[in-house]
Amino acid sequence: MSRKQLDTSLLGLAALIAFGLPLVVTSPTYLQILILLFFYAYLTTSWNLVGGFAGVLPLGHSVFVGIGAYTSTILTLQYGVSPWIGMLVGGLLAALVGVIIGLPTFRLRGAYFCLCTIAFAEGIRVMVENIDSLGPLKINGPRGLLIPLKEPSFWHYQFMSKLPYYYIILTLLILVLALTWFISRSKIGYYLAAGGEEPEAATALGVNVANCKLLAMALSCFFTALAGTFYAQLMLYFYPKGLMGLDLSFEIAFIALIGGRGTIAGPVIGALVLRPLNEFTRIYLSDMLPGLHLVIFGLILILVMLYKPQGLTAPLAAAYDKLARKITRAPNAKGAAA
Amino acid sequence: MKSHDKGSLLTCCLAAALGLVLAASPVLAADKAVKIGNVEPLSGPSASVGVQGKQAREMAVEEINAAGGIKSLGGAKLELVYADSKSDPTVGVTETERLINTEKVNLMTGCWNSAVTYPATQVAERYGIPFVVPVAVRDTITERGFKNVFRVAAKDSWWVRDQFRFLKDMQEETGTKLKTIAFVFENGDWGTGFAEKWRELAKKDGYEVVLDEPYPSTATDLTPVVTKLKSANPDIVMLVSNAADAILLTNTMAEMQVKPKVVLASGGGHADPKFLENTGDTAYGIFDEVEWNTDVNKPGAKETNAKFKKKYGYDLTGESVDAYASMYVIADALERAASTDPAKVREALASTKLSTGPAMIVSYDGVEFDKDGQNKNAGIVIVQVAKIDGKPQRVTVWPKSARRAGYTPVFPANK
Repeated sequence: MSRKQLDTSLLGLAALIAFGLPLVVTSPTYLQILILLFFYAYLTTSWNLVGGFAGVLPLGHSVFVGIGAYTSTILTLQYGVSPWIGMLVGGLLAALVGVIIGLPTFRLRGAYFCLCTIAFAEGIRVMVENIDSLGPLKINGPRGLLIPLKEPSFWHYQFMSKLPYYYIILTLLILVLALTWFISRSKIGYYLAAGGEEPEAATALGVNVANCKLLAMALSCFFTALAGTFYAQLMLYFYPKGLMGLDLSFEIAFIALIGGRGTIAGPVIGALVLRPLNEFTRIYLSDMLPGLHLVIFGLILILVMLYKPQGLTAPLAAAYDKLARKITRAPNAKGAAA
Repeated sequence: MKSHDKGSLLTCCLAAALGLVLAASPVLAADKAVKIGNVEPLSGPSASVGVQGKQAREMAVEEINAAGGIKSLGGAKLELVYADSKSDPTVGVTETERLINTEKVNLMTGCWNSAVTYPATQVAERYGIPFVVPVAVRDTITERGFKNVFRVAAKDSWWVRDQFRFLKDMQEETGTKLKTIAFVFENGDWGTGFAEKWRELAKKDGYEVVLDEPYPSTATDLTPVVTKLKSANPDIVMLVSNAADAILLTNTMAEMQVKPKVVLASGGGHADPKFLENTGDTAYGIFDEVEWNTDVNKPGAKETNAKFKKKYGYDLTGESVDAYASMYVIADALERAASTDPAKVREALASTKLSTGPAMIVSYDGVEFDKDGQNKNAGIVIVQVAKIDGKPQRVTVWPKSARRAGYTPVFPANK
């Protein structure tokens, strides 16, 4: 039994659990919590492509969620295009916008880049809130868009049960995790890591840091926008403040920072920790103190940053490594014989 | 590998068991209570109105249960289940789903905020659960062809409709003829929406619009607006204002001696208690539009308000009266449905014809839903600020059936 075998079988088991969970969890309410958990894990993984690997901290990703949701919804409502197609259009549009923002801002360092992304996202949100229609496109200002009920079907991206939503977001999550894994092991991944840590040194070695970052940004924005469409179809309603606000952008960054920026499992671990916390404090503590969950978020973030600044993934990975080494070493002979 | 595999299997089983417990636990109480889910803003910016609605509902439900519950269901009691929307549509949607799926409520009510009610009612429609909306004024809530949504209070466009009805009725009653009209409104979603409908109705009723003036409600000086108003010299001034600008406008108008024959406001800032505190004598004669006023001339209104005030320490408001009445609308429907089956309750609600009983402390004459679920009879009252016993008071003047006994409206106000 080699380490690789162990890794693969555990990964397979995790996937099996994820796919089999709805057999056990049948309540739509808890299914919804799981869906949102995967949704945030997916969003953060998408964010991680640029926020984790490219060494910058974008704090305005909600704007791409918004682009995705608005694009697919407007196409559906006004032109009868299936949200599945709208989702891809929204993704491409978001990638384009991401590149346009990235071109001037990637030259900025540290907090300046961060502030730029916040300013940009807020600017777009305020614009959307104040625009009723953009040419022929009805945006509906601060009131947001409601997707009317349709015959539940795959093509309409509407289902009576929560189950299809669960499997769609799970599939998307696995897809983007696989992409992250692939990138982190590719030349681009190494370029990104080098450019993020020592841009001068990387450039001196002939790495085109700017292009690599732009590529990461485009991919990140594309996948983030897909989540926007998913969210719109799940809730059948969204409005600028909820979907494009800073709250969402910050929550993504929270999850990434707590889970571990720039690691593959970080976003998933972060979401596993923070999402249930968010849901249960809302359901059970909302009578006591509004905004309590944000205080708890803040506390956890401070604790993690103080004691495990790399996020929770690093110590967990170390513990797993130790355990795996024990397992693979001891019954090694037996494993090889079998 | 083997030992580790076992461990994982155990974890998996544990997780599964936990999931089962979580999923199954809330489905226990299925006795004779009828569960009514309430999504209300219990925290956040609109928490105070949410709490008012909650208390009004609780008082109504206590009364209904004390009177023997739903008799056709063997005396079943009404049980209110609350969820906090935080005035956030997304939370409202999630909580509506939770109430329907996990708490297994038989009916839904709420959500005060139009922005929350709009998507939450769609969730209920999808699950086929009747949703009684006491207040949430956005027109489109009952304009989507839904089968399960019923609104007791008036909708947005009816506020404007009733303003013009009031003007017409009062001119007939007093034999006055008013010709020119001015629109002054805050430039947000609310004010511009009202102004749009004003223009339509003013044209229809043959008024000449002499001023159409939006202003930012954060303005600290409204002298330019009032100057324009002075030179336009209209018979009627229609206003939509938030609290601070309502006070500023009224005081500036008094300073500059602008005295139109009728000043008609649209609730909001003018209905805020701060308005009367800060305007002093300058507010006398102003007409304002509200859903309900403590002095409405309706049987039981005074007693119910007194009971409520004793219990919670403040007067009923328009919103809380609608919430209170909605509980009686629900009880009436359940009584006739003699079932908690959502489809049957829905049918009973659709054929509601309520014109007597404790619910009728509302300012209008009954509850009867049109095919879209909008209460056909819902309406608004117009009050006038008058000096009663040396103090400014809001006196109900319109509709005539609800007018405070013994009060003659001053119309036109500034002769």
